[in-house]
Amino acid sequence: MVVHMSQSSAPASVSSLDQHGQAETAQEIVSLDAVSFGYSRKRLVLQDLNLSIQQGEFLTLLGPSGCGKSTILNLIAGFYKPLAGLVTHGGEEVKGPSARRGVVFQSNALFDWMTVEQNIGFGFRFQSLSKYEKRQRVDTIIGLVGLRGNERKYPYQLSGGMRQRVAVARSMVVQPEILLMDEPFAAVDVQTREGLQEELLKLHEQVAGAILFVTHSIEEAVFLSDRIVILDRNLGGIAHDIKIHLPDPRYTAMNRVSDAFNQYRTDLYLKMKAIG
Amino acid sequence: MQLKVSKQDGVPAFKVQDLQTQALREKAVLFCVAIAIPAIILILWETTTRMGWIDELFLPSLSGIVTEFLAMTRKGYAGTPVLTHVIGSLRRVFTAFGIGTIVGLLLGLLMGYYKYVRAAFYVVTEILRPIPPLAFITLFILWFGIGEVSKILIILYAGALIVMLNTMAGVQSCPKDKILAARTLGANDLAIFLYVILPAALHRIFTGMRVALSVDFGILVAAELLAGDIGIGYIIQDASVFFNVEALFVGILMIGFFGVLSDFLLRVIASKVVHWQG
Repeated sequence: MVVHMSQSSAPASVSSLDQHGQAETAQEIVSLDAVSFGYSRKRLVLQDLNLSIQQGEFLTLLGPSGCGKSTILNLIAGFYKPLAGLVTHGGEEVKGPSARRGVVFQSNALFDWMTVEQNIGFGFRFQSLSKYEKRQRVDTIIGLVGLRGNERKYPYQLSGGMRQRVAVARSMVVQPEILLMDEPFAAVDVQTREGLQEELLKLHEQVAGAILFVTHSIEEAVFLSDRIVILDRNLGGIAHDIKIHLPDPRYTAMNRVSDAFNQYRTDLYLKMKAIG
Repeated sequence: MQLKVSKQDGVPAFKVQDLQTQALREKAVLFCVAIAIPAIILILWETTTRMGWIDELFLPSLSGIVTEFLAMTRKGYAGTPVLTHVIGSLRRVFTAFGIGTIVGLLLGLLMGYYKYVRAAFYVVTEILRPIPPLAFITLFILWFGIGEVSKILIILYAGALIVMLNTMAGVQSCPKDKILAARTLGANDLAIFLYVILPAALHRIFTGMRVALSVDFGILVAAELLAGDIGIGYIIQDASVFFNVEALFVGILMIGFFGVLSDFLLRVIASKVVHWQG
């Protein structure tokens, strides 16, 4: 797939060349600086939260219900405005939703009146690409997420897992710099979910944008993520920030059962328990 | 436990019908019931009236009604061909329904989309909503004269109000996440309106149109009762005055026929347009 992330704006570099001279530049794509948010000022959900997401990384937010995971996602998407602090994307303040930040909703949010093809191609209506290019990209991603043969179907003719595939493809095909996913696979059965996770990892390899993923599932978080942030119950402070190292390719079945996987899972489980 | 297998083809000897056959049978039975009941009513109607058990003044025989209808198609009613009456009525209804739908649709879309427009119209619509449109008919005659205009306007008003309220509800029922999804894919307000909100509201819009159309037929008869010498409502009114019960029934049945027919057409159009409802 000839997909390249176009970086229209230069994100702030947080760590420069390492000592061996290798170009290991971790560039920050999105950051939250001392962000506070609540539906009213008296009842904050987040207080002075700092979080940064690196370019291309797969970051998962874990934490007890009501800890503000989805709120963080909504703030980055631009659906909410912080009461205090700053949310930036590529160095610019986030002022509202933008095509540079894709969102996949738990409820897939597909357009029931459009075919699979039309749903996936929706974002291209607002981009100046050649017709050929648009068609090509839609076609490629349809192959990648295993929707071949369903191009002309409507969402109501698809299973839950298929619908979620369309939703992921629709957000991915326009190559956002970051994709925000709010428990996208929570509503499908276990087998389907595993398939979706593997496809997501493959897509993430192809389309180099960052992914911010919200889930309740420790297994899902370990299997998918480069980094996991566990939020505290108390006003969305960050309790733990853990890097996950599992062998490539990440989507192999071994990575669900290996000792390394189990260690991460045990570790995270105990940390979550400690939070309560 | 073992299923008995018939020797010839290796297919188990089924003891009961499968669910698909059961469902088909049930459908057939339901269809028969739906047809049988009106048929029985018609037969009872014809026999009781023919035998003279019911005074013809209260309920004419079916054959009498048919005869009257055939006579009407030949000689016309009150010196005017039946077709002229029918066309006159249908023209009134569909002119009013057409304009009323456009007006109701535009207002409903604006009210659903802009909360300030909604707030501005809220009190007025809430007051108008429970008032039967016919309550305004003498006012309309006073304002717009006793001719065609007030007839069409009263029908138009009744339908437009219904289409407007349903359109507004349809727009407001559009799931928030679909709108947000469109926005994160780069859609602007106009695109969101055209590609997301409007299609999401279509189902409710058609529901509103169907209700409006049936109400419009009801208002039509009432409006034509008042004045004029053309229309199905006029036939009903005139026939009542002269105790021509057969002609009265012809008028009633014609209204019913065109009401059902136009609702059916609207339903077909709706199912073609809003095909994704499954």
